[in-house]
Amino acid sequence: MNCEWVQQNITLYLYNELADDARHELEQHIARCKNCAAEVADQREFQVQMNALPVEEPSASFLAAARMRLQEVLETTEQHRAWYHRFAFDPTVWLRQVRFSPALASLIFLVGFGGGIGAMYSAMSKGQTPAVPSGNQQPPMISGITSIEKEPGTDQVRVQYDKRLPESVQGSVSDPKVQDLLLYAAKSNDNSGVRLNSVEALTGKADDPRVRETLTYALRYDSNPGVRLMALDGLGSYVKDDIRVRNAVLEALLNDSNLGVRSGALHALDPVRADSSVRMALQQLSQEDPSEYIRTESKRMLASMPSID
Amino acid sequence: MPAEAVAVPLTVGPGLRTPQTRRAADETSSTPSDRGLMVGQAQSRMNDTELIREAQRGNRAAFEDLVRQYDGAVLRLAYHLTRSEQDAQDVYQEAFLKAYRNINNFRFECSFYTWIYRIVTNLCLDLLRKRQVRKEDSGVTTDSEGGSYDLLDQVADIRSGASPERDLMRRELGARIAKALTKLTPRERMVFEMKHYQGLKLRTIGEILNTTEETAKNTLFRGTQKLRAALKDMR
Repeated sequence: MNCEWVQQNITLYLYNELADDARHELEQHIARCKNCAAEVADQREFQVQMNALPVEEPSASFLAAARMRLQEVLETTEQHRAWYHRFAFDPTVWLRQVRFSPALASLIFLVGFGGGIGAMYSAMSKGQTPAVPSGNQQPPMISGITSIEKEPGTDQVRVQYDKRLPESVQGSVSDPKVQDLLLYAAKSNDNSGVRLNSVEALTGKADDPRVRETLTYALRYDSNPGVRLMALDGLGSYVKDDIRVRNAVLEALLNDSNLGVRSGALHALDPVRADSSVRMALQQLSQEDPSEYIRTESKRMLASMPSID
Repeated sequence: MPAEAVAVPLTVGPGLRTPQTRRAADETSSTPSDRGLMVGQAQSRMNDTELIREAQRGNRAAFEDLVRQYDGAVLRLAYHLTRSEQDAQDVYQEAFLKAYRNINNFRFECSFYTWIYRIVTNLCLDLLRKRQVRKEDSGVTTDSEGGSYDLLDQVADIRSGASPERDLMRRELGARIAKALTKLTPRERMVFEMKHYQGLKLRTIGEILNTTEETAKNTLFRGTQKLRAALKDMR
């Protein structure tokens, strides 16, 4: 280690950016070299001097003003949608539409109530008792009311509604109709058991990009760890060829809240452990992951890395 | 602005931590006492992930929660760099607006911290470049509205109450430093700012600026040498 090297690295030394061995050598050098020791002292003084320009915390009012301005602009700003959202069923869009339901429900109630009173009044005025539906009459399974029209001058109301009819389809997973239903169920069903079964049925068809996209969606967003694990199972063999699958698995490895899913993701990435993004993730996990298992396994995978000359 | 393909490591946690505390965190490696810090970082990363996912589903309140975790640090950086409240607010607003519009392109390939800092530093670099073209290198400079202000006025007297002479000297030195900083190239300025004043690791700075740690080191070295030469007579 010569004076030139030391002088070029004093800045890094003082900012704690030197590796431990280099730091040790530099300290040994300045203990016996007066010139370099003087340079260290000078640079240290420079660092203190630079603090005469203080870094101020933004005042509360400054921060509040910035936040308010931002909030106002955000109200009128739309998010750009990612390309894959065009294919994905988004429950929030549906929920946003549902927001208007209370208004529709109130309207139906008012029209129904008004119509009922009107009918009863006209029946009583004719000395008849109002018609009562027979006890064994079942109300139809209504999935939504599409329109209500009142005939002017009469008590007649036309209610147009959609009736829900239970149906079932049986067929091979390759059947497009069955597959469409499975893809829909994997993304949008409230029942996690149904989602799990549909994802399980789809895992055998992951060679279809549409199926992979749905499995990737399930791995990323499904709230149930069992469903995420099942999706991971189906995607495992595609980490090599499909970069989107690899990214989703990498994301699960880094961010999933469930250790089982993370371990599964770690093993799924084994065939692509030499990939730069995977290697960087492994290096990071091997050092600082809270789970001992993930740290050990990451180290093991790094150790078995094929050597690059 | 989409997150770039490779960057993954997460070095620094978010929040309104002061440069000193962050520097202390950076200086540590993996001593047992850091376990709490690491767990804290992992937890905040997890919270961030939830908030980002919610924001990606169009939940604006979740995005605003994210903003609140980072906006103090963003405003501090922008203000220290621009020395103008107006410019700092503009950078702040533009940065979070960009983040909001493009949140669906955030693919969790780097931390949100790195992502938002990348947006902020790009905006600051643009601003510094524009200023450099306008040759705003005198003691009196102009803000984004065209009004002039004195650098000396921008140096807060953090030790008011002490000797007035020392206060004045300190403010003068602060003004000289602010002026010397404007002589650096925008990139040197950015690296020096993030290293010296914000206490970030060079590895993180490299990631934020989409460059290597080695380049960040060289840029820091060049910037430091220029500043030392410019301020030699003040010591």
